[in-house]
Amino acid sequence: MKILSTSGKLIVLIIILSLISLMGYAIFGNRVDVKTSPLVGNKAPEFTLKTFDGEDLKLSDLKGKTILLNFWASWCMPCRQEAGALEKSWQRYKDKDVVFIGVNVWDENSNALSYLSKFGGGYSHGMDPNEEIQVDYGVGGVPETYFIDSSGKIRDKFTGPLTEKIIDYFVLKAQQPEENES
Amino acid sequence: MINFSIKNTLILYTFLLITILAPSQSQLLANESKSIDDQVKEISYLLMCPVCQGQSVGESNSNLAHDMRDIVRKQLEDGKSKEEILTYFTNSYGESILASPPPKGINWLLWLLPGVAIIFGGLGITLFLYKSQANKTKKQVTPQNTKPEVNNDYIKRIEEELEKDDS
Repeated sequence: MKILSTSGKLIVLIIILSLISLMGYAIFGNRVDVKTSPLVGNKAPEFTLKTFDGEDLKLSDLKGKTILLNFWASWCMPCRQEAGALEKSWQRYKDKDVVFIGVNVWDENSNALSYLSKFGGGYSHGMDPNEEIQVDYGVGGVPETYFIDSSGKIRDKFTGPLTEKIIDYFVLKAQQPEENES
Repeated sequence: MINFSIKNTLILYTFLLITILAPSQSQLLANESKSIDDQVKEISYLLMCPVCQGQSVGESNSNLAHDMRDIVRKQLEDGKSKEEILTYFTNSYGESILASPPPKGINWLLWLLPGVAIIFGGLGITLFLYKSQANKTKKQVTPQNTKPEVNNDYIKRIEEELEKDDS
């Protein structure tokens, strides 16, 4: 019994081959473009952060400087783990046109202040009460850190606790001219 | 008895596919006029909560999901369209924030595979039913068209015996 005509068989063959091609692309396709965040390589979203000292910190006012933007919370254990490295690195970079900014998220004001008194360091921290900065930067957990170059472009994003070595790597990378990736 | 001809089954199958895939009339009418609350709800269900596992922003009770719903509301009040809001979240979090991946590139596989599975599954069932029907009909037809084998010697003997009895 003839089940399918020649053209029917051809259509089935084309569908199967198309699916195999798509699966092949999924397995062996170009993965060079995979980024840690879609924001990497783009202009950093503008924000004004109300610091715990009561000052307004505006990102655009910091143009010309390399920025380390760190998102943290008082209940976050990896944030405590990286606090020492952040403080030591800030001490080394504070006179080298590198600005460290801490953004507190998902937290109570009192808990955040208590955390800062123990782990805060000398750089500016502020709260993001409506989590607008956090959503603008696509933060999905803490700690997460963005490295912004002097032109205001996001050069890298790092998820997880930082060490001094990691900070050095990304800060130095952000200070260097961008490589043309082709 | 139901006759499973390929033509009839394909018509039935196509009708079922259209019924399942086509949006209902009431759904289309509902989309025309929606309050801000309804729009927030609709968009929230199109976004995945970044800090939850397998929950949409609409379903999650996390602080972030709550704030994301507020951002959606604020953007709607500012006159932004659903597409603009979805693009805003995609630009920040990437395509993984979308509850259903956009049909492009490798995502086509996700969109096509279920459809292809339904079509091939349907064709398989159709062919199976058709073949079963054909075999059944063949079995029923066979006894009527063929004569039973007759043992002529045996009949001859019976006739001889009967003749003997008569005489």
